[in-house]
Amino acid sequence: MGKFTEDDLKKELETKEYEYGFYTDIESDKFPVGLNEDVVIAISKKKNEPAWMTEWRLDAFRIWKEMTEPEWANVRYTKPSFQDISYYSAPKTKKKLDSLDEVDPELLKTFEKLGISIGEQKRLSNVAVDIVMDSVSVATTFKKTLNERGIIFCPISEAIQNHPELVKKYMGSIVPKTDNFYAALNSAVFSDGSFCYIPKGVTCPMELSTYFRINEGGTGQFERTLLIADEGSYVSYLEGCTAPARDENQLHAAVVELIALDDAEIKYSTVQNWFPGDKEGKGGVYNFVTKRGLCEKNAKISWTQVETGSAITWKYPSCILKGDNSVGEFYSIAVTNNFQQADTGTKMIHLGNNTKSTIISKGISAGHSHNSYRGLVQISPRANNARNFSQCDSLLMGDKCGAHTFPYIEVKNKSAQIEHEATTSKIGEDQLFYCNQRGINTEKAIALIVNGFGKEVLNKLPMEFAVEAQKLLEISLEGSVG
Amino acid sequence: MLKINNLHANINGKEILKGINLEIKAGEVHAIMGPNGSGKSTLAAVIAGKEDFEVTEGSVELNGEDLSDFAPEVRAHKGVFLSFQYPIEIPGVTVTNFIKTAINETRKAKGIAELPAKEMLQLIREKADLLEIDRKFLSRSLNEGFSGGEKKRNEIFQMAMLEPQLAILDETDSGLDIDALKVVANGVNKLKSEKNAVLLITHYQRLLDYIIPDFVHVLHNGKIVKSGGKELAYELEEKGYDWLK
Amino acid sequence: MELKEKLVSSFLAFENKGNIDLDSTVHAIRLKAIHNFEKEGFPTKRDEEWKYTSLNPLLKNDYSLFPNAEKSVGFKNVKDYLINEIESYTLIFIDGVFSSFLSETTHENCDVCVLSSALARPKYKMIIDNYFNTIANKNSSLAELNTAFVKEGAFINIPKNTIVPKPIQIINFSTGSEKEVLLQPRNLVVVGENSYVQIIERHQNLSKNTTLTNSVTEIFVHKRAIVDYYKIQNDTNESSLIDSTFISQKQQSVASVNTFSFGGKITRNNLEFYHEGEHITSNLNGISILNEKQHVDNHTLVDHKSPNCESHELYKGIYADKSVGVFNGKVIVRQAAQKTNAFQQNNSILIDDGATINSKPQLEIFADDVKCSHGCTIGQLDESALFYMQSRGIPVKEAKALLLYAFGNDVVEKIKIPQLKTLISKLIAKKLNVQLGFEL
Repeated sequence: MGKFTEDDLKKELETKEYEYGFYTDIESDKFPVGLNEDVVIAISKKKNEPAWMTEWRLDAFRIWKEMTEPEWANVRYTKPSFQDISYYSAPKTKKKLDSLDEVDPELLKTFEKLGISIGEQKRLSNVAVDIVMDSVSVATTFKKTLNERGIIFCPISEAIQNHPELVKKYMGSIVPKTDNFYAALNSAVFSDGSFCYIPKGVTCPMELSTYFRINEGGTGQFERTLLIADEGSYVSYLEGCTAPARDENQLHAAVVELIALDDAEIKYSTVQNWFPGDKEGKGGVYNFVTKRGLCEKNAKISWTQVETGSAITWKYPSCILKGDNSVGEFYSIAVTNNFQQADTGTKMIHLGNNTKSTIISKGISAGHSHNSYRGLVQISPRANNARNFSQCDSLLMGDKCGAHTFPYIEVKNKSAQIEHEATTSKIGEDQLFYCNQRGINTEKAIALIVNGFGKEVLNKLPMEFAVEAQKLLEISLEGSVG
Repeated sequence: MLKINNLHANINGKEILKGINLEIKAGEVHAIMGPNGSGKSTLAAVIAGKEDFEVTEGSVELNGEDLSDFAPEVRAHKGVFLSFQYPIEIPGVTVTNFIKTAINETRKAKGIAELPAKEMLQLIREKADLLEIDRKFLSRSLNEGFSGGEKKRNEIFQMAMLEPQLAILDETDSGLDIDALKVVANGVNKLKSEKNAVLLITHYQRLLDYIIPDFVHVLHNGKIVKSGGKELAYELEEKGYDWLK
Repeated sequence: MELKEKLVSSFLAFENKGNIDLDSTVHAIRLKAIHNFEKEGFPTKRDEEWKYTSLNPLLKNDYSLFPNAEKSVGFKNVKDYLINEIESYTLIFIDGVFSSFLSETTHENCDVCVLSSALARPKYKMIIDNYFNTIANKNSSLAELNTAFVKEGAFINIPKNTIVPKPIQIINFSTGSEKEVLLQPRNLVVVGENSYVQIIERHQNLSKNTTLTNSVTEIFVHKRAIVDYYKIQNDTNESSLIDSTFISQKQQSVASVNTFSFGGKITRNNLEFYHEGEHITSNLNGISILNEKQHVDNHTLVDHKSPNCESHELYKGIYADKSVGVFNGKVIVRQAAQKTNAFQQNNSILIDDGATINSKPQLEIFADDVKCSHGCTIGQLDESALFYMQSRGIPVKEAKALLLYAFGNDVVEKIKIPQLKTLISKLIAKKLNVQLGFEL
């Protein structure tokens, strides 16, 4: 990713454009628009899937057809027309890739622009990367090192072929096909995504990382991630997202399922920077994502997210704290600017005894944007001694934006201890003057103050992501004060 | 170095400064004293370029250059430092990160490369020792939960880091016990040189026992009504401000 | 017949019986309201605002809609429910009918009388036209239902610069003359510029028969006026209450509503504040102490529309047995409402397994220069404090009660009428089933 210098920032601020808004001219294999059972079957066929998978998809499609798009979120948008989207687009490759050297040079250039050098830099920083472009996994690095420890890290399409028993057992077990409209859609048409299995007692020696990118116009991206941490294992997983700038809205409806078995720990970090639309609110990605994890006994799942992109975000990474003593965490920074709308938060479902959850949510609204926190903390009658602490802070910049909090707290056990706090603040004139007086200009001062505001969350990110995240915060708030 | 000519300034239409004339040369220490509401802090804020105040007449020049059109950060880059009477809290931003940013922004403005991390760290340590600042203090959020003394010491620490040409200390003595006052004064004295100048703004003579001024000016109702040497401060302490009215 | 159909089909009969002037504005308002109710029906749990409260258990009964007045109620039957230690104006309704015999009204300096006469007499036409049903939420089908059948209730009209010398008590009794009765009282309170009034409202069932009350109150607080409103909800287990109170405030006014919920089967309090001017203060306080299968839902809204206003909200709850508490507090700060200070706090204690609290404190902020916060805690009694008290010889039950008292005390402290404070303290002691050797 390289070190980001002040000069880099200055250059970017000057261009005042979405940084990742380039389009890569790679020949791609793309389905005509529209969705019906034939398309679902075709996707399955394209991927050489076994019959059980095809059936699974068709079942999901039938469920989806009966569902309606949810409207409860605090977002306003023109609903996508699901028949005008192409449900499969893959970079055309002559054969299956065995090493990075065989990757299309154009594609590699794309990743360079994204700040992902799949080469030495990553090797040095010890991150294994899987790259999903327009829903198809194109390169997975470090396979060998991982294999030695029995870690499986591969495209989910491969896992369906090579590890059907794991996929069959866990896929849809946390986010069922019937869960919601977008999850059902994803279950029917997902084209790829990452699969990861950490065997019993293994601590994954490196960060695992997936980069998602939507490239082709008029396509939707429906990736599916399944991550299983077997008993006593540990894994830290990073996910990054970008898309080119386009006039029309692009749809992204992903599903992520995490399973942390007894004593396992999963740390899942996301830096989401899909194209947010331009200054007038034109274009941008619709990001409708279902992310959920299950904790068995003594297990821990920690979600960290930095959300700066997308025109519409609808996303609630959640934890089902099923096992006794399990722990769920959610750390989030969501920035909205211009005409972006985000409705994001988490659900912490306490089922086991002595379960603990922490929610730290920092929302920053600027321009004409709207930023909502929506969260559920649920303590079931059998969950003795459950603990939750939630903190939701909003920072508003200007008087055209909105910051909203919708916490739901449902407690059915007398031994629960719940604390929820929310505050709203702005960047003070006196803070800006103080920074100015020390020679820091207003733009930089805002970046500094915003980073301070989000510090508790930024601190939770793995090092190499933290730098990128800070940079993203600065870029996304650019031009937000007159 | 600093030249203030017939300076008039308003806030919300109310005139606070009514024609200030003042010249400070390099190597000098000036003190401005005056009763509450005489315009002392306003003068400091106007020199630093706070936008709440409207300059209606006159000018402020630094090294012959009129500052009027410059933003506060540009004035800072040119060497103006204001130690705030009430330093501002910035949650989540550490003292170290803040001062790093300030220094590198100033260097950038001057066309100098960023200070390498190692040198920066060394400088921070050196200056922190000068102000008897605990290392742990450097990783705390800026001014958040600081005691009065810690806030003021932090201001002088930043001054030491930024090495300004003109340091304006606005009521730096207020809220300090005698030990803290000595530390702060000691810091200021060590930073004094032939190349820079200090403008002390204070209500009491107390601070002037430790930082000896070359000139003392009395501000009253927006104007300098009397100027003299350091003995003027003792006279004020003895007689109060009433005899000037 | 389902309750909704029954209500809709009774509307004509109701209007005919009441000799309603078909040309009057009130008739038009009623007609519109019944249409809205017919269209919307009763809210269900699918409705986000009713997510945690189901009215189904209440809608199965065959309510008598127009009960015959029970004449045999005398002072001795009701005196226990009045605060007798203080001088007050009283408005007493028996099964929805005003009892002039038991009440003390006035037209001196201010009007403390009944809505039916205000609706009928030309003298009050202007007030009715200006205020009646202007702030009751038209999106609430229950408020619309009340409006459709509006007939009786309190009418309080305080001219400007008037300090009402004594509190006003409004008490609605149901006598059980019918097995199941639906009452729909409607109150209108207009407080003129620079005036002050204290109002205590109570609903009381005198029998073991079933009562459902669907009450609507509109309160208008003019410039610099102060209103202190107290709601005592300590009804029998057979009684349910849906209370909707709408308050419109003008500049520099202060309105406080204190809700004490100890009794009743299902209680739903809708409390909505609308700001129409600067420098307004709104205070919302409440204590709920519930046991058995009681259910109380406090649903509040403060709509900050103008700059420099404040709202302070504090709700406490103690839930035992299988009781359910709901708190849904919404604060909206609109774009123009810069410099708003809005604080919201909801603290609950669950005493038993089986008890439930659902809390949803909501902030919707559209202005940047504001101070808004909400806090919500759910916990238990401090075990170490309990042990400390026991070690000093205080029995566990009393020790618990004392701690619970302390927990609710900051709300009790907000009561400005000393006699009422004593009454509430006694009710709390009774509800906690302890005897305290001291006055709180």
